[in-house]
Amino acid sequence: MTKNKFSLRRAVNNMNLVRFRFWFQIVAFALIVYGGYIGLDLGDKLPTFACVFNSEGTGGKCYVGELQHDLKHPLEGFVGFAGYAFLISLGMFAVWFWVLNKGWCGFVCPLGTMQDWLTMAREKTKIRYSEYSWANRGKIKSIKYILLILLLLLPVMIANSVFGLPKLPNGLSMPFCDICPGRMMIPAFTGDFNQFYIDFSSKTDIVMTTIGMIMTGLFLVGSFIKKRFFCYFCPMAALQYVFSKPALLKLYKDGSKCTKCGDCYRACDMDILEIADDVTSKNLVTEDCTLCLKCVAACPEDGCLEANFMGATIFESTKEGFLVRMAMDQNKENHAH
Amino acid sequence: MHTEHTIETSAERQNRHKAMEAIAVLNSLKEDFKSPIRSMGYFYDLFEKVYCHHQPLHEGKAKIGTMCIQIPSEIIYALDAVPIRLCNGFYTDDEIGGDLLPQKSCPLVKATVGWFASDNFSDKPDITFSPTTCDQKTKAGAIIESFGHTVIDVGFPRTKESEESCHYWRESVKSFAVKLSKFQGKKLTRSNLESAIKKVGYAQSLYHKLTEFRKNKAVPILGVDMFLVTNAFFFDKIDEWISAVEKLVSELEQRANDGVNVAGKASPRIVYTGSPPIFPNYKIPLIIEQSDAIIVADETCSSNRMFNDMVAVDEWNLYDMIDSVSDKYLKACTCPIFTQNDDRIRRIIQLVRSYNGDGVIYQAFAGCQVYEMEQRSVLAAMEREGIPILYIESDYSPSQHGQLTTRVEAFIESLKNRKRMKK
Repeated sequence: MTKNKFSLRRAVNNMNLVRFRFWFQIVAFALIVYGGYIGLDLGDKLPTFACVFNSEGTGGKCYVGELQHDLKHPLEGFVGFAGYAFLISLGMFAVWFWVLNKGWCGFVCPLGTMQDWLTMAREKTKIRYSEYSWANRGKIKSIKYILLILLLLLPVMIANSVFGLPKLPNGLSMPFCDICPGRMMIPAFTGDFNQFYIDFSSKTDIVMTTIGMIMTGLFLVGSFIKKRFFCYFCPMAALQYVFSKPALLKLYKDGSKCTKCGDCYRACDMDILEIADDVTSKNLVTEDCTLCLKCVAACPEDGCLEANFMGATIFESTKEGFLVRMAMDQNKENHAH
Repeated sequence: MHTEHTIETSAERQNRHKAMEAIAVLNSLKEDFKSPIRSMGYFYDLFEKVYCHHQPLHEGKAKIGTMCIQIPSEIIYALDAVPIRLCNGFYTDDEIGGDLLPQKSCPLVKATVGWFASDNFSDKPDITFSPTTCDQKTKAGAIIESFGHTVIDVGFPRTKESEESCHYWRESVKSFAVKLSKFQGKKLTRSNLESAIKKVGYAQSLYHKLTEFRKNKAVPILGVDMFLVTNAFFFDKIDEWISAVEKLVSELEQRANDGVNVAGKASPRIVYTGSPPIFPNYKIPLIIEQSDAIIVADETCSSNRMFNDMVAVDEWNLYDMIDSVSDKYLKACTCPIFTQNDDRIRRIIQLVRSYNGDGVIYQAFAGCQVYEMEQRSVLAAMEREGIPILYIESDYSPSQHGQLTTRVEAFIESLKNRKRMKK
């Protein structure tokens, strides 16, 4: 069918999502990693890894860093004004997060973008990606929550004696930053390799910075062979998911239109089975979803999956869009006879 | 005067009988209905050429027989061979096969076995791949092999939800690709598989365009014609098929603009499901459309199931393309051989809703156990949804025509009444 009418909606639904995301991520990466050089400061409540250790370049600061810092105070301090201040910080984080929901991971996060670049490099070398077995895939889901609880609890335990336990050493004041690959990788993009070190000033520091070095190595190797390797364990994702329900950007599914062909699952970097197999839920932003929208682009059913912003469809799956993206919309070898 | 008398050989008799079956259906398609479609001429001629005149289509090409839809045609095309799907709809062959299989076997399987037993092909497959789908197909492979044909089993799981099944089938497809590649003496490469996937994808997109017209109030194409078009994909040259369907699409577009309706204004719209109608066994579809109903969609493996779901590739490298192809043939499949089959029920409901169907006709071949067994669950689901459904059992024999017509007509009458009451 030759539809002559041009519409913006049709153009959007037919877009090359891979290319769009590639450029969007580059712009976002530039703003987050180099924005500081042009005076950009989005504050310190960002729901993404805008690394505080990239002190000159960063265009804002990661809230997980801020959160650990805030929690390192005697509990009495939280009664009254400081408590409100803490809640306001958390609220600011939530407001930032609600704009893009998990889209922060799929479109903005510099660590996510780096992993996608590594994936591209692997694809070029024609090395197959690896996958977790479904059972292990299920098991590792809880790791990010454990990390989140630790990063919340450890700073509290430095300033307070919890359950009568002795207070923890100060070296654990930013426990997650110590082991976060972003601390090394992000400043490295501004030419600052000073974070690649092992701190011998105390036992705690030796342990934590060593783990940090190992994590960075794992990050590089892991995300080369496994798409979005780090995101499976990311405590930021866990923290975000707590606030995900009221977010403005959503991934919706109309299960009645789903044939369970599994094309979306194949496209999913996070191997989320529900995207293909759940035909009853409407909101498909699951805990590990990065809202990268690759599933929407890979879905061949009209209106089965859609990205929705405040009730308005902004990008939805269409048969036509699928065919265009898969280059199946025309016969390339028509001149054969 | 001395006249030469020759005695007809059994192969000649078989061909004559098959030609009679074929021409009867083709004539009916051509002449029994109003507003014939010009570009359907290609398909009528194609079937006449192959089944009445026994003309080969693929001389000089390797022909790869497939026993079910699960053998990926993308890989066959990539390796420069032609897939020939051997599901057979001829009563003549069914009778030959009947002597070799248990009495209560499925007529489709009997016909396929009969075809091999007589070894009378216009395009004889050089090698046949048999996915282990239903019991009868699975066992038929070994019987066919005993006639001296090369048959290779391709292990197919009977659950599709589990991880084990997914891996098992991916391995099966890989091993199929390796065997075929050896047989062809040709390597499967990134570029030949990529262009085969895109070509088959394009062919599927044309099918989707055709079906889109059937959503219209005035339906510009008959269900039986659609079955013929999809059936041609079993054995036709893919490029010829593509250009014929392109023409058909543009003619239907014209017809849709002109509001041409091949059915009546009040004709009930039928969604057809069950055992596949394969040429020339269009018995039930013909009865339906001769009784003033119109088939607007189907859920069968000779048509919708073959084209509906598409291969999506994330990384266009060989490893991901092969897995994508495998997954499509397993995960998207709504074949009743699977233990659970909610997907098939959901597909039927979705077809009824999106094609504005008035009722469902579920036909099972007598002896096609899996469709017979799934009948109850489908009927229950349709009742829940308030969708009228008729279940009929039939085979390839021409004998029950009167009885079947009465049942179908009665169902269609009741659908018409229902429609009137709604107004």
